[in-house]
Amino acid sequence: MTNSMTTSLDPTTAIETLSPATDPTAAQATWGALRRNPLAVLAFVVLGLLTLVAIFAPVIAEYPAGFGPDVLQPPSSAHWFGTDNLGRDVFAEVVYGTRISMIIAALSSALAIAIGVVVAVVGAYFPRIDPAVGTVVDLSLSLPVLPLMILVAALVGPSLTTIVLVIAFFSWPEVTRVVRSQALSVVRLPYMDAARLMTTSNSWIIRKHLVPAVAPVIAVSVVLTASRAVLSAAGLAFLGLGDPNSWSWGRILYEAQQSGAMSSAWWMTLFPSLAILALVLAATLLALAYNDARNPRARKD
Amino acid sequence: MPSLVPFALRRLLRGLLTVWFAVTVTFLLLRLLPGNPALAIANPNMTAGMRAQLLRQYGLDQPLPVQYGKYMWQLLQGNLGISFTQSTPVSTVLMERLPWTLLLTGTALVLTVVIGIPLGVVAATHPRGMLDRFVQIGGVTAQSLFVPSVGIFLLFVFGLNLHWFPIGGAYDQGTYGAAWYGSVLRHLVLPCLSLVLVQLGSYVLTLRSTLIDSLGEDYCSLARANGLPNRKVVWKHALRNALLPTTTLIGLQLGFLVGGAVLTETIYAYPGVGRGIFEAVTELDFPVLQGAFVLLAATVVMANLVTDLAYGLLDPRVRTS
Repeated sequence: MTNSMTTSLDPTTAIETLSPATDPTAAQATWGALRRNPLAVLAFVVLGLLTLVAIFAPVIAEYPAGFGPDVLQPPSSAHWFGTDNLGRDVFAEVVYGTRISMIIAALSSALAIAIGVVVAVVGAYFPRIDPAVGTVVDLSLSLPVLPLMILVAALVGPSLTTIVLVIAFFSWPEVTRVVRSQALSVVRLPYMDAARLMTTSNSWIIRKHLVPAVAPVIAVSVVLTASRAVLSAAGLAFLGLGDPNSWSWGRILYEAQQSGAMSSAWWMTLFPSLAILALVLAATLLALAYNDARNPRARKD
Repeated sequence: MPSLVPFALRRLLRGLLTVWFAVTVTFLLLRLLPGNPALAIANPNMTAGMRAQLLRQYGLDQPLPVQYGKYMWQLLQGNLGISFTQSTPVSTVLMERLPWTLLLTGTALVLTVVIGIPLGVVAATHPRGMLDRFVQIGGVTAQSLFVPSVGIFLLFVFGLNLHWFPIGGAYDQGTYGAAWYGSVLRHLVLPCLSLVLVQLGSYVLTLRSTLIDSLGEDYCSLARANGLPNRKVVWKHALRNALLPTTTLIGLQLGFLVGGAVLTETIYAYPGVGRGIFEAVTELDFPVLQGAFVLLAATVVMANLVTDLAYGLLDPRVRTS
């Protein structure tokens, strides 16, 4: 273990320093510190591998469809992760599940970040809007989100689009909370006043000065929102609200539970669980390592 | 010292506002989203007249504000509608289930705090020691766990293979008195443990980092300089101040805990609101889904209110915030 994870462990509230991210030397120092952190490297490797699996899924395995003769076989050389209750290859299911899980994570977090950041910076920049933004965010965050997601997904009918939209729609308040608190401290800095002297275009100031200043928080938020999206999507799929036409990690668990295979075939639940853990853990470690790398006090250089 | 009453009133108002927000969001979602609940139960080959009658029966042919007014008025009277599948009031269906969910989440919450405080204290007082390393690695890993994965794992190992604990339900049929309480307790262990394992990570990590900060404060140095034993400095002075942010965290995580309960109850066939949600999903019973969300939201708000008030009572600083 090195100096990682020592300064701050809640990755969302970890950023205290306000060093401008556009400064190339600061960015280079961060990148250098990140590369020297073995956990960050490990996280990069895991995320890279999973991305490759997602892209090259058709090359790695045959799409698991139809029925096979070998039902509920434990892992063997023919079926690395065993087979499920209909004789389908669990390895292939996990491989194709990687694809769907990463697509959902990428799309829904991109959408949530876009909405969340716009609401946060606009709120922080215009003091008259900000109390409303703060109230809505506080109220949304105190509600149990999963039951709400379930209600909407069940109503609209499960499909890839529904799941992405539902997760994005209920994830942006968390993004706004984190970005807003940082943006509020940035708008009070003197250089923002200086920018107002130079132009009357509020959108120019927001785009050129406010957003770059909160970019590091956004970067962390992207990773964490994506990893939470993976968990939400898996949760919905586990309750039978996943896209019925594509394999996802949650769907494998759902089918294991529905068919009762969960009680005997440990391979049907272990491997998708490990895949979820690998993806979410790598994302969390990356966010933590990035926070540490950005903090000059935690850095040994 | 700021008085407790305005603080309590502010928090109460906030709680009411949150419940109103939850209820209104659900109403708007149900009425404005493409999938209309009345059409969902409607048979595809029913005539236009039958459909219109069904819409009238559920009051869905009226303008939106009128529907909203009626909906709010019925909610105020505790009327959550009629379950599509069971033909009984949703409130009756859910109220039978709520105590089990409260038992499960409440126990998980208490256990998280009871286990989390000593772990956090030891980790913070011995930074970079063996246990601290373990707490950090374990904490980050636990934060990344998927609740059903943990539930299935515990079920498989301790339920199915070792037979230490029952694998489903909330109690044994045909037990009474002390035996019944015993069976309730045994059925609670695995689902509760699943929730605690997932919840504990962020709690311990937050407590650890805030406690390390507190221990670096001047008042702790002063207490040590006064010759106070280290144990007292940690437990009596630093910990009390470090508990405030962790308590706030618990409030923020209640919604997450409830979500975890939905998943855990599904795995263990635990007869709580969460399992009710799962069953309502498979039967597309929208009044139950809607009622369950409103009920869980209200429960979370109540729990937050109680923690806030208790904390305001103990720590005057909270009252001004």
